Amino acid sequence: MDNVKEIQDKLIAQVALSDTPREILKSSELKQLYGAITSLPVEERGNYGKSINQLKQALELAITSKESDLENAAVETIDVTAPWDKNTGRLNLLPAEQGTRHPLTTEIENIIDIFTRMGFDAFESRQIDNDENMFGALNFPENHPARDGYDTFRTEEGFIPPAHTSTMQNRILKAGKAKLEAGGQIAAVSYGRVFRNEDLDATHEHTFYQYEGVFVSKDATLGQMIGALRSFFEIYYGQKLKTKTQPAYFPFVEPGLEFAIERPVALGGKPGDWLEMLGCGMIHPNVLKSAGIDPVIYRGFAWGGGVERLVMLKHGIEDIRHFESGKLQFLRKFL
Amino acid sequence: MIISLNWLKKFTSIDMSVSDLATLIGARLVEIEEVVNLGEKYDKIIVVKVVEASKLEGSDHLSVTKINDGGVTDGVERDENGLVQVVCGAPNIKAGQMVVWLPPNSIIPETSGSSEPFKLGSRKLCGEMSNGMIASARELDLFDEHAGILVVDNDIALGKSFATAYELDDYLLDIENKSLTHRPDCFGVIGFAREVAAIQGKAFETPDWLLDIAPNFDTLDGEKVELSVNIDDANLSSRYQAIVMSGADAGKQSPLMIQMYLSRVGIRPINAVVDVTNYLMMLTGQPLHAFDYDKLVAVAGGQADIHVRAGKDGEKLTLLDGRTIEITSEDIVIAAGETAIGLAGAMGGANTEIDENTKNIIIESATFNLYNLRSTQMRHGIFSEAITRFTKGQPAELTAPVLAMAVNLMSEWSGAKCVSDVTQAYPVKTTQPVIETTSAFVNEILGSEFSSDEIIKTIKNVEFTAEATSDNKIKIAAPYWRSDVHIIEDVIEEVGRLNGFDNISPLLPKRDFAAVRPVEFDILRSNLRKIMASAGANEVLNYSFVHGDMLKKANQSADNSYRIVNSISPDLQYYRQSLTPSLLGLVHPNIKQGFDSFALFELNKSHEKYDGLNYEGVPVEIDSMALIVADKNSQQGAAYYQAKYLIEFLLHRLGVKLTFKPIESDNDDALFAPFEYRRSAMVADGDKIIGVIGEYKKSVSKAFKLPEFAAGYEIDTMALLEAYNNTTNSYKPLSRYPATDRDVCFQVEQSVNYNQVIDAAEVALAEIELDSEITPVDIYQTENGETKNVTIRVKLISHDHTLVGEEISAAINHVTSAVVAATYAKVI
Repeated sequence: MDNVKEIQDKLIAQVALSDTPREILKSSELKQLYGAITSLPVEERGNYGKSINQLKQALELAITSKESDLENAAVETIDVTAPWDKNTGRLNLLPAEQGTRHPLTTEIENIIDIFTRMGFDAFESRQIDNDENMFGALNFPENHPARDGYDTFRTEEGFIPPAHTSTMQNRILKAGKAKLEAGGQIAAVSYGRVFRNEDLDATHEHTFYQYEGVFVSKDATLGQMIGALRSFFEIYYGQKLKTKTQPAYFPFVEPGLEFAIERPVALGGKPGDWLEMLGCGMIHPNVLKSAGIDPVIYRGFAWGGGVERLVMLKHGIEDIRHFESGKLQFLRKFL
Repeated sequence: MIISLNWLKKFTSIDMSVSDLATLIGARLVEIEEVVNLGEKYDKIIVVKVVEASKLEGSDHLSVTKINDGGVTDGVERDENGLVQVVCGAPNIKAGQMVVWLPPNSIIPETSGSSEPFKLGSRKLCGEMSNGMIASARELDLFDEHAGILVVDNDIALGKSFATAYELDDYLLDIENKSLTHRPDCFGVIGFAREVAAIQGKAFETPDWLLDIAPNFDTLDGEKVELSVNIDDANLSSRYQAIVMSGADAGKQSPLMIQMYLSRVGIRPINAVVDVTNYLMMLTGQPLHAFDYDKLVAVAGGQADIHVRAGKDGEKLTLLDGRTIEITSEDIVIAAGETAIGLAGAMGGANTEIDENTKNIIIESATFNLYNLRSTQMRHGIFSEAITRFTKGQPAELTAPVLAMAVNLMSEWSGAKCVSDVTQAYPVKTTQPVIETTSAFVNEILGSEFSSDEIIKTIKNVEFTAEATSDNKIKIAAPYWRSDVHIIEDVIEEVGRLNGFDNISPLLPKRDFAAVRPVEFDILRSNLRKIMASAGANEVLNYSFVHGDMLKKANQSADNSYRIVNSISPDLQYYRQSLTPSLLGLVHPNIKQGFDSFALFELNKSHEKYDGLNYEGVPVEIDSMALIVADKNSQQGAAYYQAKYLIEFLLHRLGVKLTFKPIESDNDDALFAPFEYRRSAMVADGDKIIGVIGEYKKSVSKAFKLPEFAAGYEIDTMALLEAYNNTTNSYKPLSRYPATDRDVCFQVEQSVNYNQVIDAAEVALAEIELDSEITPVDIYQTENGETKNVTIRVKLISHDHTLVGEEISAAINHVTSAVVAATYAKVI
């Protein structure tokens, strides 16, 4: 066994000095070590085999690392301050007509633009957050069954890739508290990337985008919520729309609703064909309380919806997986 | 969850079409995923009597039967007595039985709705004509048969539609459970019917037996069996009731009508004892469990001693489904004496299972801590109808009326009689809060105009108590089954919902005219996207998580990534430390798809573990923009300069000036790790490093199969915003006098950087009282390779006179001597 260790050290030292380190795998020392196995008593062969394997792994690692060093060694330094390479000339941009923006970011800009014009401040959501912002501050106690619906990922440390943009709600409420108490309102939209631990298929992504709104004032009503949402979709689709709601359960609102619009003309308009757009409701008093806002004096409403759905309906995109595929044949179809 | 419309109708009238009802339920109670017309399946199928049955000669299992259909079926061959001949393969066929006949041209219900519905005809079997068939419960798509054909009740008129006889002319509503997470009462037909009544504006009346929360159980004659029940930890269960019944005949079936109702909502009928528990669960939402009394006593060592307690780590239990699970301290266990006999709320243990020899049973009616049960459900993967209901939080008061009804049905269906008192542990009694409000408050939240009377009527329809007080308030208390109602907002939801939220007039909140200022960072990012798209680049979005291999390929250490521990896929294992690796991963696939030359960019967030946490205690998050430009074909000049040209274009558009500083040695920071330092630069805003630009390490390039011509950059967009905000106006008024250009060529050592020449020239020009601009003209490497010629064009501008020869020469000389002094250049 000591012999194996010795040979290992020796070969690794050779690798460090070699310009062709892979050749060392063919060395006679190694062959002898392999050969020796048959001459050992059967009960010793297992351990011996293991130590040979360890040697092989260590050697392989050293060789790969040396090879990469060798590769990276033969590199010519360039003058990084120059406008172009020597003996060449002025460069060009790529053809402008092939440049595109991503349809999701374009749509998020549209959505935020409408809400901004309606009087909402915009906040982008984080991509890694904690349990308190994901659940605790939103009236989801530990082990609450409603947590199941969110299929959250978790990191080793217990951080959570947010499963909804409502992770921003507590922050928005806290930030707006002073303005509210000075006689103003809290009107904010948050938007960003969210994550669910789901299998991928044409209509399910583990990574997608949401937009969401929060409004708090002394006299917010559910009627105002429906009015504000209807107004948003009417501006978004540029037409009058029929809307309807349906009771739903989300622990952070009470009452909770789902909001649907009748298919607008831009999407082939069919009366009686309802498109579910988002979840919404009056903010639960516990959510206001966890931001230090007195739910006896102030009330609010909140909503949240998915961006992909809007974009897929708009362009007739058949597979949600295209969005994060990075495929140029998809990306270049947009503006 | 499946809700049967006919079952609902036993508790409330419905006076609208099924589709109108489904729409109304959708708007005011819960989403319905699908409405299934059950009756369609049983079209033409009727109940008939077997008049004769004899073995068919030449067959070991077939019988020839003559059936009497009351003459209702047309176009079928009949004998002189008007009977129809059917050949039947079931062993239990006998003359005198009432059975279900599928006449010719009817479809076997089991196959209806499948891709190949089977239509029956008249055909010969072993030489005997068979018209249609006599059906088994399985063929009728009800449940797995026990003995062969389904024998139905005797009192049905011959030729009567089978669907009518067993109320299968029904519609099934497939309910989206998720939106009822907080409504345990709606997981029973009676609770659901209550809502259906109220959304139609009707008052509901709960059956008396279910309202009776302290029911009388008959006093026992003769000897009583002792039964003791203990809840060892009041946090685990708020009530546990049990009773012993004797003389249960496990071979006995529940009434066929009950079996028909259970099977249509997805419950397999087993025997009378089990069916009682399932029937009452479907009816009320309260799950029940039956133990074999004698087995329980044996396990407990001689007495019926039941405990509800926390599981002990390492404890093992074999469940009814045959699995042996390892219990944890978060599970709730039902124990007989010391020994676990059930996983509370989830599944009974095999050691007390009811079997064909069971005579004496214990019926459990209890409620358990829903949070413990939820974790049990997840840990052991148990998704039964019972645990689905328990995890909604069934109220403790419900256990008694349901147990009383169970005792009645058990005796009626299985012949069992009570032999013990009802024994219970009920450590903590809960009471429903009294909620006071006013119509004004309800209307303020909903934006509605309900009167006090309308509010009271609405919630009385669902059996809340509500009364107007003398001081214009409304005093409200929810019925015991509404364990979800705690605060006034819960009541307000009921008022809005039951009357229809859509009947509230939508209006907009009032706001002042102050304009909202769009977020600067959002505007910058929007501009960056537009600028890069106008430069011919394509914006991509990549996942925030990457495979460990990608980190390795990009020369980044996995230790620096936040790791996802519960990912469904190894592709989503680590948070990205920078955006560049995912972009590198897109180059080869796009080249393979036939794209030769492109630039991809992404604006997104990345996270390095080494960056630690921010003031909120969550990981530091970096906003960046990364780009990669690649060409499958080799190009003149290094790819680095193409990437640099693209970022310079961007910076020019923004009016931001950044510098590109050589990197002295290899840098293993995540951002720099993929880049070859000898062919990359640090992007700096003054002294602050805000990004990297360059070509990739050979090893990285090889790992990602990049073409030779590939380079890119990644910069911190927040830092870019700061630079952008610090930009000063660089506009200078136009001069009325002509400008003068002079080209100057400097021969310098290879090691001298272009910027050294420019910097020296700029410093010198700043000392002259003229406006000036410098542009590069040519960089030529001389034949020997030791020197290069850098040619620049100096433009001189005066705002007050036309420049003359001496002035120009003096200025140019000043510049050239400064460059020569700084770089040891030779002017040529």
